[in-house]
Amino acid sequence: MKQLVVLFFAVTIINTTVEAQFKAPALDKSPMDMSYFPANFPILKIQNKAIDPLMCRVCYSRPQKNGRNVFGDLIEYGKVWRLGANEATEIELYKDVKINNDRLKKGRYSMYAIPFQDKWTLIFNRETDIWGAFQYDEKKDVLRTDVKLEKQQDPIEAFTLVFDKTDSGANMIMAWDDVKATLPITFIK
Amino acid sequence: MYQTRQLIKLCCLLWIIALTIGCDGPSTSGNNSVTINPNTSANQPTEKDLQPGLDKSPMDMSYYPVDYPKLKMTGSISEPPIARVIYSRPQKNNRLIFGDLIKYGAVWRLGANEATEIEFFRDVTISDKRVSKGRYVIYCIPQENNWKLVLNTDLYTWGLKIDSTKDEYKFSIPVSKTRFPYELFTMEFEKAGKGMQLNMEWDSVKASLPITW
Repeated sequence: MKQLVVLFFAVTIINTTVEAQFKAPALDKSPMDMSYFPANFPILKIQNKAIDPLMCRVCYSRPQKNGRNVFGDLIEYGKVWRLGANEATEIELYKDVKINNDRLKKGRYSMYAIPFQDKWTLIFNRETDIWGAFQYDEKKDVLRTDVKLEKQQDPIEAFTLVFDKTDSGANMIMAWDDVKATLPITFIK
Repeated sequence: MYQTRQLIKLCCLLWIIALTIGCDGPSTSGNNSVTINPNTSANQPTEKDLQPGLDKSPMDMSYYPVDYPKLKMTGSISEPPIARVIYSRPQKNNRLIFGDLIKYGAVWRLGANEATEIEFFRDVTISDKRVSKGRYVIYCIPQENNWKLVLNTDLYTWGLKIDSTKDEYKFSIPVSKTRFPYELFTMEFEKAGKGMQLNMEWDSVKASLPITW
């Protein structure tokens, strides 16, 4: 048993010293991910199943709940949230769209949300390539819209943003903890 | 033989217990630890459902100037970025990478999942070739002593199928050995000479693509 313990510690120490000697950047705690509409576009594309062209994609980071109460607590109501983690969440539209009767031109935008108990205000802002919402500048907003919320039965561990097809376009679904927000998007032909 | 097996089992168990205690409780998710499920297959496209889990080879982003979004946040930069790369980070997981997992002479997506994307926000020069500003897929054909890097215009694709008829620029760069193996595939820009270089490291191999403007 004694030998075993010695062996175990020896191996562990060797392991940690080796790892301590190089400084490769670690994996992010809130890893980045990408969502597309049509959903899974790159996979459909290589399977020759991409019938419709790529309409939009979102690049965002995925914080985790980790036992915390997220909305109203970790993320305070009424304050601008970067809709993810790390870099500001980025949406790229490859076609002009209509959101709540407002037209949004194709292009690359940062997205933020102001969560409230009963709704979220979603923000599209033209300042891109920026970290978080720390320097968020309201003057650079291009569109703001309110979205309704639904309660999630089973809490969602990692913040998730995906697109779902609808008759007129797509729903952008944002879900974390027990909250699900849906933004309807219409693509202008 | 039977005893050895017991010993290994006990060692593994001890190790797992030690690791569990070592992690700082629920605040660190298992998905962030460097040793991830050894069954990872970087080559399997995974369908994403409505509540997708975290990717085994998570995506990451690098800018030049280095940490551009943070520089912008602190107000210490006003001009636009030069370049940005979006790639996914597979892990070594005790495998021999180059010449084994990734075959010499075969196309490699320079990452995992989606094809790796590089965007230049202005015209640049790479190995004496003028590269127009814009967005490209970047992929690699590794050899033992050099890598061929290709910029391709077939965007928004999964990395397993590259349309080589849309290759736009090709560069050959030497590779060097790293002092220690890199667990995670890493792409980062670094200031170099009058411009910068895009460093790529994985396992014991490092390659750098020099870029000026």
